[in-house]
Amino acid sequence: MKIGIVDYKLGNLGSVYSALKFYKYDVDLISDSKRLKHADVIILAGVGNFKTAVSRLKNTGFWDSINEEVIGRKKPILGICLGMQLFADTSSEDKTNRGFGWIKGDVVRIDSSISKVPHMGWNNIIPHKDGMFRGMTANAFYFMHSYHLIPSDKNTIAATVKYGGIELVSAVRKNNIVGVQFHPEKSQGDGLRFFRNFLESVV
Amino acid sequence: MIAHRVMPFFLLKGKRLVKGTNFKGHIDVGDPLSQAMIYDAQGADEIVVVDISASLESRLIDTKVINDMISRCRLPITVGGGVKSLRDAHKCFKAGADKILINTNAILRPSFIKELAREFGSQSVVVSMDVRKNRAGCHEVYLYSGTVKAKEPLIDLVKKAIDNGAGELVITSIDMEGTLKGYDIDLYKKLRNLIRVPAIASGGAGCYDDVVKLFKDTDFDACAIGKMFFLRDYDVVKVKSYLNGKHVMVRET
Repeated sequence: MKIGIVDYKLGNLGSVYSALKFYKYDVDLISDSKRLKHADVIILAGVGNFKTAVSRLKNTGFWDSINEEVIGRKKPILGICLGMQLFADTSSEDKTNRGFGWIKGDVVRIDSSISKVPHMGWNNIIPHKDGMFRGMTANAFYFMHSYHLIPSDKNTIAATVKYGGIELVSAVRKNNIVGVQFHPEKSQGDGLRFFRNFLESVV
Repeated sequence: MIAHRVMPFFLLKGKRLVKGTNFKGHIDVGDPLSQAMIYDAQGADEIVVVDISASLESRLIDTKVINDMISRCRLPITVGGGVKSLRDAHKCFKAGADKILINTNAILRPSFIKELAREFGSQSVVVSMDVRKNRAGCHEVYLYSGTVKAKEPLIDLVKKAIDNGAGELVITSIDMEGTLKGYDIDLYKKLRNLIRVPAIASGGAGCYDDVVKLFKDTDFDACAIGKMFFLRDYDVVKVKSYLNGKHVMVRET
């Protein structure tokens, strides 16, 4: 199994790479969109803002190749943080561009009248139905985000997280498409375990 | 619920870890990579690494040191020291930083905070301020590792940093730093409700109860710990289990 991390020059992909290397997976950073077809599993990470991410994916040709691999060829994809948010229809962070639209829903800013924004630090997630979270020590993962995805189809929610009186979606899943709002690559033991669970669940 | 964070605070001078008292008299306390691996294994929630001589020497923190840490550790790392342009920030992120910390350049040029937040998102931009209490008991901000006094009052600078898009603040008490006599609780109480982003207290932690007091008496989200870890017989596991016993919510590891 070849794992391809989409390298569209946005944020910190080295940690994702080294976390996957920990389990000796065959993993590559892919910077040429034409080479994405060689990957069996795709990882889309990234930090920053929605607009920059969409335009960079489009400029590098990744937008179309990701769509082709994930929708056309049904390859598994894991979106991390902003990567997951890109699966949505729209984001209030960007009025012009739309997301991939695979997970129906919108990305909006966390209500700062209720809690401190960004949602930063370690928080315990609440798994809804998915086996991706089995065998964890505490189900505690590292979050750092100001925006969150609200799926319109509640069946796509795989986990939530409580933050200052509100419940945010922390993972989504729809067939071959998986997204997490937290950073497994930064979440020590449970994070590594999540990567393994995800990969075992898709192959 | 979100856990209070326990964060070893790494001060670098070039490639070595150092520690002083009141921002002076730094001695070598080890190798950043091996120390980072130890704290990662102990379940530290995050590590902050700042090169304290970078701004003074007009250079950027050594990104090779950061890259080594990132490749061996599975926890978030905030990186600072001499970051004065988007290009510098890109270099740090490329090396593996999760967040960029700016201090002197955030005060000199608040618009830089905005530039960073626009490019990388607020969640990746940490503004750090070093604070000293004057004779009148008033807290004042200092730049260039405590050597130059800022013109504006602390509260204005804090508001300005948040308005410009800082996603997290580190407030260090120069008076308490390295003294092991406890955090400057008055300082953090003064900032209560003013900080609408996560905030990290730094300077003075010397025993378990200092950390408990910080979390009980202020609304700060994280404690930075330096000398207490590097030069005393404490570790992350012990601190967390003590906090847990005092009903301060921390992450189990």
